[in-house]
Amino acid sequence: MRDKNRDRLRERLNPTLPASARAVVVGAGIIGCAIAREITRYLSDVVVLDKENDVACGASKANNAEVHSGIGEEAGTLKQKLNVRGNRMYDDFVAGLGVEFKRQGLLIVVTPRSVPPEVTEKMGPKELDELLRVKIPEGIVAYGKAAGIEGLRVLSREEVLKREPNVTPEAVAGVFDPNYGLVCPYKLTIALAEHAVINGARVILNTEVTGIRVEDGEVKGVITDRGEIATGLVVNAAGVFADEVAEMAGAGGFRIHPRKGATLLFDRQVTSEYVRSSVALFKMPGMKKERSKGGGAMPTVEGNLQLGPTAVEVEDKHDTSITAEEIEEIFERFHYLLPSFPREAVISAFSGVRAPTYEEDFVIEASERVRGFVNVAGIQSPGLASAPAIVEMVMGFLHGLGIPREPRPDFDPTRPSTPRFAELDDRERKALIRKDPRWGNIVCRCEYVTEAEVLAAIHSLVPATDMDGVKRRTRTGMGRCQGGFCGHRVAAILARELGIPVTEVTKSGDGSPLYLGRAKDLLRPGRASHG
Amino acid sequence: MGKARKPDVVVIGAGPAGLGAALAASEAGARDVMLIERDVELGGILPQCIHDGFGSIVFGETLTGPQYAQRFIDRVERSDIEVKLNTMVLDLRPDRSLTAVNSRDGVLEIKPRAVVLAMGCRERTRHQVLIPGYRPAGVICAGAAQRDINIEGLMPGRRVVILGSGDIGLIMARRFTLEGAEVEGVYEIMDHPGGLTRNLVQCLHDYDIPLHLSHTVTFIHGRKRVEAVTVSRVDEDLKPIPGTERLVPCDALVLSVGLIPENELSRGAGVLLDPATGGPVVDERMETSVEGIFACGNVMNVFDLVDYVTHTAEVAGRAAAEYAVHGARRRREALAVRPGRNVRFVVPQLLRGHDREVYFYFRVRHPERAVRARLVAGGMPLAAKRARMVRPPEMVRLRADPEKLGEAVSRGGLSIEVMPEDREPGELSGKVAPEDQEPESLEPEDRE
Repeated sequence: MRDKNRDRLRERLNPTLPASARAVVVGAGIIGCAIAREITRYLSDVVVLDKENDVACGASKANNAEVHSGIGEEAGTLKQKLNVRGNRMYDDFVAGLGVEFKRQGLLIVVTPRSVPPEVTEKMGPKELDELLRVKIPEGIVAYGKAAGIEGLRVLSREEVLKREPNVTPEAVAGVFDPNYGLVCPYKLTIALAEHAVINGARVILNTEVTGIRVEDGEVKGVITDRGEIATGLVVNAAGVFADEVAEMAGAGGFRIHPRKGATLLFDRQVTSEYVRSSVALFKMPGMKKERSKGGGAMPTVEGNLQLGPTAVEVEDKHDTSITAEEIEEIFERFHYLLPSFPREAVISAFSGVRAPTYEEDFVIEASERVRGFVNVAGIQSPGLASAPAIVEMVMGFLHGLGIPREPRPDFDPTRPSTPRFAELDDRERKALIRKDPRWGNIVCRCEYVTEAEVLAAIHSLVPATDMDGVKRRTRTGMGRCQGGFCGHRVAAILARELGIPVTEVTKSGDGSPLYLGRAKDLLRPGRASHG
Repeated sequence: MGKARKPDVVVIGAGPAGLGAALAASEAGARDVMLIERDVELGGILPQCIHDGFGSIVFGETLTGPQYAQRFIDRVERSDIEVKLNTMVLDLRPDRSLTAVNSRDGVLEIKPRAVVLAMGCRERTRHQVLIPGYRPAGVICAGAAQRDINIEGLMPGRRVVILGSGDIGLIMARRFTLEGAEVEGVYEIMDHPGGLTRNLVQCLHDYDIPLHLSHTVTFIHGRKRVEAVTVSRVDEDLKPIPGTERLVPCDALVLSVGLIPENELSRGAGVLLDPATGGPVVDERMETSVEGIFACGNVMNVFDLVDYVTHTAEVAGRAAAEYAVHGARRRREALAVRPGRNVRFVVPQLLRGHDREVYFYFRVRHPERAVRARLVAGGMPLAAKRARMVRPPEMVRLRADPEKLGEAVSRGGLSIEVMPEDREPGELSGKVAPEDQEPESLEPEDRE
């Protein structure tokens, strides 16, 4: 087992491409990994490629983890259709993966600010009250019903405040949508990738697609910086780079314009009960420049309060920065909805880059120009929620392009997951420590992550080989000290297990070393001192 | 579930506070003292503080951090204190029972008679001060950088910008320089330095490292590794002034932006915390709001001097032993000791008894010259000391003897205040208590 782990790790660090594959998926985000996993239900010879050092390195690691219901989407769009259907499919989608999914619901809050002043000015107080208390909530419920969203219910002001006591007392009414769910997007992506690997897929990272070989209008192969894979089927799930990959095949025609979203994350010890469901302020359609769905306040699966995201058009597809203006905007926006939110308990801030097209709808199509090339592009929020339905739609194309319709009899429906020490009871903890004492060695003091869990992440089916990879799989460094205690511990374990000096351990792959040499290096003769 | 261990006293954390408390408890007659430390060795942060300046009050000489720690470690090794290294306390409950875990013993259920909280503090991180920008490798807290260099022998940066001029930031500016790294500058958002004058001279001035007051880092550049930071001047409200941005190329940003007492376990046990200190509210015996749970050192508030930490540890350890041996006494009603003029907080916050001398520790709100710090009861000053200068980074301590405290308790209405020296004579007319034995200069030695 240990040798197998070592081989896997060696292969992971220095991958060799197969000469051919039945299908190649470009992009190891949630969509790419979910499609690959689905393909393995029918055949095992599928390869997932990504240029980053891990799966889920784009928008899949930096979104708000919400499985929307579709209530926020425009009627008649592909987005809304797939969102509503995807939400319903979610329990089956995550079954067997060992990933937590819970439906915490969404509370849509109606306040006087839900309506623009130019409308309220013209109204008498009674008329306005009627609008806010009755017409808007009932309108939301009717809108949902028309889209096939069940279970929406109107709440009175008292019910709103009882459900979420931290919401602004200006709340007039609300709508509760029980369909909203939470899932950790990068854990789900990792689980899907591993599930695909269990069933024969190969996930090859640090490998950039540089071209698509097309002959006589048919896909023949994928060209990368490590060589070429011959294939007749390519799924383009390259996120913000999907337009570029489509162009490589001559199967483009859409343009991705990156739009950044920043989110603030709070200490879960302080905020675990701050909001129980997702909470969003209702705004009358057309009230603001609709750049995103407006975001909200929501817990993570683990109980950290999140506020965001923002929506800022950016030039650079790599722009995952967060600006002072965005931080200010989030604080201002949520100061109204949740007047007492604990500003001082912020422990992290992150940005992701959305991948919208100018049409702002999903582009899911088998190319008419290039046979064997399937675009899954323009996937932004609610992409996470829509994933199961997107996969279903893509499989429709792939079956038409030669993926067998009969499921494999040997498909393994489960992916074993590593227990989390923090979530076990004392009896379970004792049993694990008896079996392997490294279950008793706490590496991360905030999240109570053990050495055994870190080792499991490094020796997993899609091995973690850098600090962020270990972090996403185990939560090391995600707590209030942000790696102050565990940083050097995790780095030492990575160095030991990867068989590299600790000075070669990185935060997130090439170019991100944690350390710039050893102490005294700069003082040795022959080395120029900077001073 | 195995049988729970029932020691007299459990001390959580084996830094200077925990070491001192465990020793004091043991020496005061507690039979069975258990010292729990999550790290691989004793001493807390001290082993990485290889500069000197520790111990001038406790030992009357200045030592390095490791030397200071070793004096306590040697005593612990000669004692019958049970040391549990690599052991994490997972949960502390209001009945003082606790759960800990390590590789050797597995899950430990412990029901001590008394508990001493000595978990120390942690560093404020980049996101807690909300520095905008990317999230590359190379953004590191000063204490973590100190550990990397002094313990691990690793360089977290070669061309360094330091944000924050607290002592640890200043000490690291010198440390990086001595390692041959380039320190581009130290940036401080306030208009005055956060650290001691001596450190400004010995760590910055002596090495020609510039200190930029009223400046902060407003953007971190570099997707993978820090490539540069943008620094900006700030206005009186500490807001960056547009147009003052300057791009500073560097490969590491070292943060010295504050320390936070570690009270996650305290909260779990229902210990009342003081918003002003971030630590438990304690009485003169360092007992928290939960009977039998005591606190000492940086878990209460961040001290500037390890000597003070040791002192509070001795008080807490002795009191925990008394509690464990003699059992709970009827708790007398507590009198609040309130922060008065130019005082931000006072520790201990409460006074119950007056059977022993008490040192009150406090910080001022703003710098002030030629002052008199005093304990006041019912408008009457009872204990006082003079200082040429008081500054927020430097803790002040004021001693009160049992006699004065007795008077204070009978008068009630306790507070500690800092008054300008020149107002004193007319107001006080000879009622000032004699100065205690401390040196008049309040400039303490290096913080850890």
